[in-house]
Amino acid sequence: MDGPGPLIRLFGLTKGRARPVGEPFDLVAIVTTLRMPAEPAELFPEHLQVLKVCRKPTPVADVAAQLKLPLNITRVILGDLRREGLVAIERPRPAAQAIDERIYREVLHGLRSL
Amino acid sequence: MDFAASSQGVAPATPALAIKILIAGGFGVGKTTLVGTISEIRPLHTEELMSERSIGVDDTSGVEGKVTTTVALDFGRITIREGLWLYLFGTPGQDRFWFMWDELAVGALGAVVLADTRRLQDCFPAVDYFEQRGIPFVVGVNCFDGARRHEPAKIRKALGIAPQIPIILCDVRVKESVKEVLTTLVTYAVKGVPVDPQMAPYPAPYPAQ
Repeated sequence: MDGPGPLIRLFGLTKGRARPVGEPFDLVAIVTTLRMPAEPAELFPEHLQVLKVCRKPTPVADVAAQLKLPLNITRVILGDLRREGLVAIERPRPAAQAIDERIYREVLHGLRSL
Repeated sequence: MDFAASSQGVAPATPALAIKILIAGGFGVGKTTLVGTISEIRPLHTEELMSERSIGVDDTSGVEGKVTTTVALDFGRITIREGLWLYLFGTPGQDRFWFMWDELAVGALGAVVLADTRRLQDCFPAVDYFEQRGIPFVVGVNCFDGARRHEPAKIRKALGIAPQIPIILCDVRVKESVKEVLTTLVTYAVKGVPVDPQMAPYPAPYPAQ
């Protein structure tokens, strides 16, 4: 990036915060839109875009990539949307516990058929 | 707006799951190439802003605020099916971005440590990191053009890693090779044992192109 200009603009989106509010969440935590706000016009376009993307459950990192925003800016936005009750962010599960035999076989099969 | 009238969403039969895998190793060892070879999309690029935790590293005098620079982070995605993905995160190669590793490593299924036999020591920090945190990892020895073939046993000795940790000779430019590295890691991380030796992908069946 060239100079602090773009960063200052981005931090306007987050009111200068570098950390999301509430419980921490993982880079691949699944975000799901719960509802649209009563007054969509009052949200930043980026917030609305997140809500649109996450109508399909979407991992945090993918949200950042789709919005072309830095990850921690994205996370501040997601934390705000969660506080407003507009999105749910899955509580992280340790991968080893989340992967049962069926998922393990699906992953192996999926990799081999690439 | 088109989504205002959309349904409130139906909970899927099984919850969506994104599995995180880290690709580590020294600078220039082929992390980004590996991700690009296997990812169904061009590696997604995002940038992480340096936070106050690391701010002491940089000269920030005269700059307002807590954030002054960014760390590029490339990651790839493999969709297994709707609601089940693998995400591959290339770890930042520079030492001053180590603070990001903790963030990346939380909840990860495991890691691939890429090694270059010409600069084997470059992967020592990654090996130490994953050993200390008990994160399952495999070592992928990237066989570049002209790189001498090394026996896994010698590499294991040089790295000082436990006998059960799989070492795979690979070519990160070749999809089949990367698939074997990842299936070996997934099996090792889930089952905690090496794959059947009959199935082990070494010696590497993929000659350098």
